[in-house]
Amino acid sequence: MTSVSQTTAQSAQKSTLSSRLSSLGSNQSTILVGVMIILIVVFTVLEPKFFSVATANNVLTDWGSVALIAVGQTFVVISGGIDLSVGATIGLSGVISAWTMANVLGLDQTVKGQDAAVPLLLGTVVSVTVGLLVGLVNAFLINKFKIVPFIATLATMGAALGFSVILSKGAPIGSANDFTLITAMAPNWNPLSWAVLFVAIVIVVLGLFLHKSRFGLYTYAIGSNAFAARAAGINVERHITMIYALSGALAGLAGMYVYIRLGAGSPSSGTGRELDAIAAVVIGGASLMGGVGRIMGTILGALILFTVQSGLIMVGVAPDWKKVVVAVLIAAAVAAQTLQSKNGRK
Amino acid sequence: MAGEVIYEVRNVSKRYGSVIALDGASLKLHAGEVVGLVGDNGAGKSTLVKVLSGAHRPDGGQIFLDGEEREWNSPREALEAGVETLYQDSGLAPHLTVSENVFLGREKLVPGILGKLGFLSKKEMAREAHADLERVGIAVPASNRSVSQLSGGQRQAVAIGRAVSWARKVIILDEPTNHLGARQAGEVLKVIRAAKAKGLGVIFISHTLPHVLEVTDRIVVMRLGRVVMDAPTSEFDGDRLIGVITGTIATIKVEGD
Repeated sequence: MTSVSQTTAQSAQKSTLSSRLSSLGSNQSTILVGVMIILIVVFTVLEPKFFSVATANNVLTDWGSVALIAVGQTFVVISGGIDLSVGATIGLSGVISAWTMANVLGLDQTVKGQDAAVPLLLGTVVSVTVGLLVGLVNAFLINKFKIVPFIATLATMGAALGFSVILSKGAPIGSANDFTLITAMAPNWNPLSWAVLFVAIVIVVLGLFLHKSRFGLYTYAIGSNAFAARAAGINVERHITMIYALSGALAGLAGMYVYIRLGAGSPSSGTGRELDAIAAVVIGGASLMGGVGRIMGTILGALILFTVQSGLIMVGVAPDWKKVVVAVLIAAAVAAQTLQSKNGRK
Repeated sequence: MAGEVIYEVRNVSKRYGSVIALDGASLKLHAGEVVGLVGDNGAGKSTLVKVLSGAHRPDGGQIFLDGEEREWNSPREALEAGVETLYQDSGLAPHLTVSENVFLGREKLVPGILGKLGFLSKKEMAREAHADLERVGIAVPASNRSVSQLSGGQRQAVAIGRAVSWARKVIILDEPTNHLGARQAGEVLKVIRAAKAKGLGVIFISHTLPHVLEVTDRIVVMRLGRVVMDAPTSEFDGDRLIGVITGTIATIKVEGD
């Protein structure tokens, strides 16, 4: 007995070390940082102007809105689901909050500087609330009617898009060139802006919750084995509701981000962004089967997407190629994952 | 030897559409007793397990825990009342670590405000998971390793260790020795004895009759949704047990009290 427990203890120690080593080697984040460096070097060689603070600012500003929905998507994907509605929710929340700010809160071109702060804050509340509601509708469809997340969120995506076109009559609603709007996006601490910094803080907080808290643990548990999670006494439906609500609320926040960026809420402002978010999550190493994924991977995945996009434009490749390159990246990421898990099982 | 009646179902029935899965089944479990629940496929074992574990509500009949009539609206309620269930092959989340699995649903939180926000004390959980598993006689794999990296036998050992270390009154084991090699199955039976020694009531569901004969005090045989025999294990041998399960031996006795 003692010899058995001794060897167990020894093998436990050894495996801790070896699993640490292997997690370092196969660490998705390490690989992604490597990919980022390679991309930066290649683009810089092709176009020296690429390596600049201005480029970094552009990439980060683009990254902000997609990073928000990609982080929400990370929770959803780890729980074994998918949220296709986030892109349309950016549009809907942007349109509704823009309408509210313009027609109820009196935000127009005459409002300058500090005076815009209150309407913008209230607009943010409206935007996040709209997103939250879309998320709750998703959760309701998934929990109550047992509709698979792909279909449930496809339905809300269509509905959100439809509503935003109806409400806006297809045209952007906004009060462009407001002073406050521009400063939020301006690179105050080059290449960072207030808006990007805010996004970064939101992501750090959510990352801590995903990786260090019970909320995060339950998210992994449900994606890994929903049956076991339920048997352990976890209220799976309630947790799923919170995850889709979070994803929706983040899409609402992204809607406000895009509004501030464009100075207007447009029904098409988030079109296709859900695919960018899913791409970022998958490139970041999450598995669409659930149970696997890291916030850091998603953030780097999104950064890679926009670095590629920005780089291709700067080296003079036609923008249409962007989609092809992103497609290759996704396929490569998934192939790498499959190979890795095969090796792991050997 | 066995103590008070700790868990009991009386005359429970359950239908799925036109299928009668349980037809007035009754079962009694004493503290410190291992009861084997056997029967052919479709005999109603799984349905009875679901009723016992709170996963399904019976259409009729009563449930008593410690002599008190209870109703389970969810497995969580049964769990909180001290009835722990280990389901066949699906007790663990493979992407979580051993200690996260052991503590799933009862996490240790860090002290202070972060704890109130739900932040986990992973170190404490790892340490205690190790100790808990060792206490019930499980050779513990590294508790910070993910369960997907363990062998089938190790997984099952962790799942059972988890259930036994948490159970306060009753533990229901659904096919715990399935797919296990002889040595690993032996380990599982050892853990069942540890649970019994701890004073828990154990319900052991299995198709592997030698294991049932080896570890149980009493055997309850089900057929077509009914309990057709309930007798001390000493009254059975392999052939006789098979005969009762398949119905080739007429049922002689359903034990009362």
